[in-house]
Amino acid sequence: MSAKHAVLGLVIERPGYGYQLAQRLDERFGSSGFAPSGVYSALDQLSRDELVRSAGELGAGPARRAAPRTIYEATEEGVEHFESWMLDPSPAPPLRDELHMKIALCRPRNVPRLIEVVTGQEVVCLGRLQDLKRLGEETASARDWSSLMGTLAAEAEVAFWNARIEWLQNARELLEQLREEHEASRAAGASADAVGAGVCRLRGV
Amino acid sequence: MVDALLSLEKVSKSYWRGPSEVRVLVDACLDVGAGEFIGVWGRRGAGKTTLLRIAAGLETPDRGAVRFAGDDLTTLSERGHARLRRGEIGWIRRSGPRSDLTMLDYVALPLLIEHGRRQANRLADGALRRVGMGQCAGQRWESLSDGERALVAIAHGIARSPRLLLIDDPTANLGVREREEILQLLRALVEETDVAVLMTVPDMPAAMGSHQLRALSGGRLITPPVGSDGDTPPVDDEAEDNVIEFPGYKRSA
Repeated sequence: MSAKHAVLGLVIERPGYGYQLAQRLDERFGSSGFAPSGVYSALDQLSRDELVRSAGELGAGPARRAAPRTIYEATEEGVEHFESWMLDPSPAPPLRDELHMKIALCRPRNVPRLIEVVTGQEVVCLGRLQDLKRLGEETASARDWSSLMGTLAAEAEVAFWNARIEWLQNARELLEQLREEHEASRAAGASADAVGAGVCRLRGV
Repeated sequence: MVDALLSLEKVSKSYWRGPSEVRVLVDACLDVGAGEFIGVWGRRGAGKTTLLRIAAGLETPDRGAVRFAGDDLTTLSERGHARLRRGEIGWIRRSGPRSDLTMLDYVALPLLIEHGRRQANRLADGALRRVGMGQCAGQRWESLSDGERALVAIAHGIARSPRLLLIDDPTANLGVREREEILQLLRALVEETDVAVLMTVPDMPAAMGSHQLRALSGGRLITPPVGSDGDTPPVDDEAEDNVIEFPGYKRSA
């Protein structure tokens, strides 16, 4: 999915200009990985479709800023479009994960590097949880609707990273075992078939 | 960065289970400073209790150094260990007294030698009140609920005002609300007393109650990057096309 509906929803919540909306998008959906430029493409597309319109301009602030900033607000069609999107069923997202593919296609010689890659991801996932924790603490006392729904969405993220770390731990522990078996079997002059079969086991993890 | 009160430097520990070596800790590094609350998350058997035992100086690592307030626990004298156990390091565990003690006596027991009966009772009463269990001073362990036992265990751990609290799974068997109460209490104690807390838990929601997260599995103690924002790859191909310069934009840390 593109940033289109998220940006439209944010504009409906509160009109704003591109940079503000990019910041709000990052605050609310940082893990989604939307590029800041995606906000501008989304606003262009939403304007073309007449779902948002200019609500005026903010004067050129700092001297180096050439153009004034356009403040966007939602049109009636925009609100209707957003409401109908809200009512649409949401399909389960495709799971297109590079690491799954690497593990599925790796050779025994790749295992040591894969262990490093998996460990690196564990660190990143734990970092995401740490960030979510910090955000949760900041909004812990807030009781407004938007914070409450934000907390619910953040819980989905916590569950996702948690499950991801558990899988990564399993993968790393098994890969480490396989590496040892592989090294032992190489030392004993045996073939690497046993290790290859072990890697296949991972695909079912 | 706070000066570390407890410091594990490249600590390794293995056990032999039959013919196979179980690596519980591999080059584990961990610093816990005064006023820091670190939650270590790991599955059953991941080595959480071993980590705490090593941190308390009850177990010696195969390799690496363990320092508490600058003292190397691996080379500390028996007297030095006794001093730490008497007061500076508090261990909170969930097993209660086997004997028929009242909760006031249970919490006061380790304080008796140093403080005498009257002062020990006063400190124990203060600790029980602090965790909201003042009314249970005359009760026995068997009559308490799991949530109440968790609170008494904390009172037992904090009665001597330790500088470091080691806590093994304080929220086991608790419901969500009780778990949150325990974690809130621990956070409040950290803020009030500047105690350093190292807590191990088997589930992530409990670990999220600490100030800082670590994960332990396969012998590795994973630490998130400082000020991490995660470096996850973007999932939106469309947004990644046509990237334009956006000066001044920084992902929030």
